[in-house]
Amino acid sequence: MSAVPFFFDVLAYSAIFVLVVLGLGVIASMMGIFNFAHGEFALLGAYTVYAFQQNGIPTWAGMIAAPFVVALVGLVLERIAIRRFYSAPIVAMLGTYAIALALREAVRALLGGRFHSVDAPLAGSFVLGEVSISQWRTAVIVITGIVMVLCWLLLTKTKLGLQVRAALENPALARASGIAVNRVYAATFAFGSALAGLAGGLMVPMYSISADMGVPFLIKSFLAVMLGGMGSFEGSIAGAALVGASSAALPWVIKPVVADLLVFVIAIVIVKFRPEGLLSTWRK
Amino acid sequence: MNGQPGSFRRVLPVIEITLLVLALPLPWVLDEFWVLFATKICILALLALSFDLVWGYAGIMSFGQALFFGVAGYVTALLATKSGVTSIFVLMPTAAIVGLVLAFVVAVIVIFGKRIPSVIFVALGTLTGSYAVERLARGWSWVGGQNGISSLPRLTAGSFEIEEGMIFFYIALAILVVTYVLVRLLVRSQFGLVLTGIRQQEGRIAFFGYQIQSYKGVVFTLAGLIAGVSGGLFAFHEGFVGPGQLGPVLSTQVVLYVLFGGSGTLVGAVLGVGIIELISYALPQLSWLGESVTAFLETGWPIVLGLLLLGTVMFRPTGLIGLLVSDRERVGSFGRPGRDDNAAAKPGHEPA
Repeated sequence: MSAVPFFFDVLAYSAIFVLVVLGLGVIASMMGIFNFAHGEFALLGAYTVYAFQQNGIPTWAGMIAAPFVVALVGLVLERIAIRRFYSAPIVAMLGTYAIALALREAVRALLGGRFHSVDAPLAGSFVLGEVSISQWRTAVIVITGIVMVLCWLLLTKTKLGLQVRAALENPALARASGIAVNRVYAATFAFGSALAGLAGGLMVPMYSISADMGVPFLIKSFLAVMLGGMGSFEGSIAGAALVGASSAALPWVIKPVVADLLVFVIAIVIVKFRPEGLLSTWRK
Repeated sequence: MNGQPGSFRRVLPVIEITLLVLALPLPWVLDEFWVLFATKICILALLALSFDLVWGYAGIMSFGQALFFGVAGYVTALLATKSGVTSIFVLMPTAAIVGLVLAFVVAVIVIFGKRIPSVIFVALGTLTGSYAVERLARGWSWVGGQNGISSLPRLTAGSFEIEEGMIFFYIALAILVVTYVLVRLLVRSQFGLVLTGIRQQEGRIAFFGYQIQSYKGVVFTLAGLIAGVSGGLFAFHEGFVGPGQLGPVLSTQVVLYVLFGGSGTLVGAVLGVGIIELISYALPQLSWLGESVTAFLETGWPIVLGLLLLGTVMFRPTGLIGLLVSDRERVGSFGRPGRDDNAAAKPGHEPA
């Protein structure tokens, strides 16, 4: 087995995973809400692409639409339910779990409980020397890179980003300074959902869509967020890269089932002994 | 149930006794199918009790009760199929011990330690454990992989074979009632008072000098034991164990039962199991709702269930039992009867 396609495989999986975790991390560190429906947001994104394909619209259009559709769903949910859960993390956990259940089962009813595959907009592969690399995987990696840079610019260079960071750091002071914190929260929640939706949309051509695809993503993303440490952009990405890369790479080395277990156990143990996250040591 | 004069009417004992009286003659009234159904409810009620004990009383959010349930089921099933042990007197204690040991191991990871772990960490740790072990069971062919272990032999007591049906129902009911009474004594003892204190104001109890983690660990381990017994019974009642009995789906189903019924009352958990299971079964069968509704409910019932849970969490955090039982009674009294007038609401339950 050549190393290059393998490397691309791991990288593409990690890239998608980073998107999911980034959305979850932003919501978790900002509002203290661990969104159990986040995996289902990714599922909704995937379903949007699938629905586009079923109706004869090209999948790339579906992938562009997916983040917007999911952001809209996220916004509506935030307005109806999530905003009642701020400052009550446990209730939030249960509430978002209930939302997740309803969303997952709705998609299951629509899909009929089977696996479906979706064609990638870029089906071919590059030939570099002797190895061929899937074009779609490359595209996913590039898109993720662009989105990450845009997110970072948005958070650090714009006025909105400043407001978001202010609301994250100290909601009361932000409110006193004239920032409409509730609106910032709603926007952030929609934004985090959109990231999950985008990840879901990009992922369908690589992994077929089924109603249960969100759950493993959810658990791994939680671990990644805790591993990276809450409340930091770099932390979430680092945690995601670590968990994503190891859970994509390990199955090549040892049995997939054992690999999963290993990733979970190691992550949990690290989080236990370093609840502030891995990056906290260097940041201080 | 020491009578305390005046201040409020006790409803919980009335509900408890009514349920027991209703349950006792069931096998004579119902036909075969419903007896099996009632047995299943008794067994799942045990599982729900274990969750109510950790969440409703100690404030530990365990999303992994199915882990203990399922692993105990697997171990007993393996004992029965691979080494031919079928005696209930061996298998049920084994199930209990498996649940206990496993819960202790999980508690060592997520609860015990120098630092007080965050609620999120505990919830996540237990959920992850449940998910990881389900994956393991699905991929491990020695324990049956995807298909699990089916056609288990019947449980025996001496030379007597325990068939599913009346006898099994009474065994399950007896175990449920005994466990219920024991748990109830536990949560109404001084130990239970400390637990309630931890649930209400963890920091304050720590300043009193209590080892919070030890208390939580003990409760968690005990709940694991109960879940284990439940899992063992369930496996032999269904004659089957599969990876589905280990995973997050069942773990969260238990959360749903208890929240819907009302946490922190014990009887709420039992009610929750009964009502949700009954509705789940009955609703898609109701023909008078019209064909399209029935067709929708057949696939869409879990959607309704999710919305129901969302509604409960948002608007009725005390669950169904909260309709009947006052806050004062839910908090209750501990040890010897005494005066305590401030009936505090439960943590994380106040509408935000």
